[in-house]
Amino acid sequence: MALSSLFITLSVPKVPSSNSRRLLTARASSAAPSASASFDLRRYWTSLIADVESELDAAMPMQPPESIHSAMRYAVLPGAGKEGAAKRAPPVLCVAACELLGGPRAAALPAAAALEMLHAASLVHDDLPCFDAAPMRRGRPSTHAAYGTDMAVLAGDALFPLAYTHVISHTPSPDPVPHAVLLRVLAELARAVGSTGMAAGQFLDLAGATALGEAEVMQVLTKKFGEMAECSAACGAMLGGAGPDEEAALRRYGRTIGVLYELVDDVRSASGNGKMRSNASVLRSLGMDRALGIVEELKAQAKTEADRFAEKYGDRVLPLYSFVDYAVERGFELQGAAATP
Amino acid sequence: MAFHFHPLASTRVHLSPIPFAAAAGAPSPSSSVAIVAHHHHHHHGRRRFSAIVATAAAASAAATTEFDFKAYMGERAVAVNRALDAAIPAGEPPAALHDAMRYALLAGGKRVRPALCLAACAVVGGPEAWAMPAAAAVEMVHTMSLVHDDLPCMDDDDLRRGKPTCHVVYGEPIAVLAGDALLSLSFHHMASVGSYPPDVDPERHPARVVRAIGELARCIGSEGLVAGQVVDLEMTGTSEPVPLERLEYIHLHKTAALLEASVVIGAIIGGGTDEQIERLRKYARSIGLLFQVVDDILDVTKSSEELGKTAGKDLASDKTTYPKLLGLDKSREFAEKLLSDAIEQLDCFDKEKAAPLLHLANYIAHRQN
Repeated sequence: MALSSLFITLSVPKVPSSNSRRLLTARASSAAPSASASFDLRRYWTSLIADVESELDAAMPMQPPESIHSAMRYAVLPGAGKEGAAKRAPPVLCVAACELLGGPRAAALPAAAALEMLHAASLVHDDLPCFDAAPMRRGRPSTHAAYGTDMAVLAGDALFPLAYTHVISHTPSPDPVPHAVLLRVLAELARAVGSTGMAAGQFLDLAGATALGEAEVMQVLTKKFGEMAECSAACGAMLGGAGPDEEAALRRYGRTIGVLYELVDDVRSASGNGKMRSNASVLRSLGMDRALGIVEELKAQAKTEADRFAEKYGDRVLPLYSFVDYAVERGFELQGAAATP
Repeated sequence: MAFHFHPLASTRVHLSPIPFAAAAGAPSPSSSVAIVAHHHHHHHGRRRFSAIVATAAAASAAATTEFDFKAYMGERAVAVNRALDAAIPAGEPPAALHDAMRYALLAGGKRVRPALCLAACAVVGGPEAWAMPAAAAVEMVHTMSLVHDDLPCMDDDDLRRGKPTCHVVYGEPIAVLAGDALLSLSFHHMASVGSYPPDVDPERHPARVVRAIGELARCIGSEGLVAGQVVDLEMTGTSEPVPLERLEYIHLHKTAALLEASVVIGAIIGGGTDEQIERLRKYARSIGLLFQVVDDILDVTKSSEELGKTAGKDLASDKTTYPKLLGLDKSREFAEKLLSDAIEQLDCFDKEKAAPLLHLANYIAHRQN
């Protein structure tokens, strides 16, 4: 049944050949439109990443003082590391939520880029010698290893405000995005990386979290990864003009997807096909069986949230379904998918 | 729109005085300068620095005697501290992270930046309460920059205001996170509808807050505060003397940028016109630079007891200062000029409403530590 088949998928990962153009077809749930089989997540994701990369590239021009701007670009833009291009899951989710509701991509792209800046700022600080002391990230030296610890602290400090500046100066406002909505987006971004969001997750993760129970481990993952994904979906929802119920459903969907994605990474790292991004490991604390059980639960939850939109929005809900499948199966690599600056 | 810091070469132009005549309908020069008269001057002798104030004092003492600057600052500090205390989600976990934020944020201090923000809102005719979330935000940003500045990988300071620094008490990783969380909180607090009183103008308020957040973010990022820290960092450790233009760049970004943000966002939220906002921006840049020039002067002229910190530290560490580059007399002349430049920007405002900003400029110029 589901558990054993999932186990096989995860522990014997498929290694696509470099030319593999395998389509990941969204698995149609009962409510999903029949056209789902034709949805090409890889193409959708690749085109979105290209848009996000060019948005980010333009948002961070090289200007004096060059050292800091160079460090900021290094932290955010993809390198030629062996792990390939960044997947940009937070911005992709943001744009997908906006487009689901019929909002224009241009309304969500600045917030999508901001999410990536905030995310990168947190990672730069998370990698510092006094923190995780990570010498590498995405297959190349981490920002402090390349630019020095002091410059890495400042690069993070500068990326946080740049995210807000970027949203304000590039989101089409007041039309179609009213100022009041823009303020809600700004507050949401700030909340997600603040002391009750991502920073709380980083704080909890500092403890090492090796001997934690399920609730504690899940809390670390929810704060450190779920909050960011919830924020992505919520920002996309607001920018696409969601009603309160739609926004709430997309929030739950985003949070679930964020934790699911991380959990699968955890499982994959145990099978030597991924990286540990958190000290709080479900696997280490709860074992493989429970981890896979949680994967199934989250997958079902996320699909339930996506189902709410199927009737009203038809095919536009397909990206939401396919993200769930992708999070679990990682059906393709995004190597070379992104525009390299 | 926004006034940009660079290019460096244009710095001088921004700081040059605007002729009194430029402010049509403004009070006469003598009366506007006169408001600066300050009862402290008699106690502190006759430094050349205060000459401009002393000579004007005779003209009209009436306008000032009614304004109690000390009481004004005391009341603002109490109100700001209350707002800061309420802004931190103390009840929510993780408790230690929120403790670290509170430790850094509620450690006292004169709250000069929030006072500037509130005064700027009032001078353009806005109720001070409208600007309180912005005033709290600039203090959060200021605190965050101090917490990160004190880290071992940066300035490596163990003490601040006589207390152990945040990383000494809570450890480095929590200090990094507390700083990041304060920065996020400042933007969250400013952007949240719930931070503002119910009497804000529902039509104009959201657009004003969006603009104000954009100003704050620009002033503290890689074109503002961080730019100053970076250039300062790059200067430290080099044996060559720092040219005047570079020194000014550092101070305009490291210190003046956040003062600029404080004043400008207060004025925006208070509903100021673009012309009023730009005048206040110039005012803030002048007093920001003034702040550092005075700091440099105090370091060479005061004893450690008078300063409450180690005097002569700049000389000992071979740091480039204004007295070193210009000499003490020229530094004092420069400070006088910056003060009068700042005051001139206030000419076009109602004299009574501008009194707090005048006294704040004066306070920055004449502080003794």
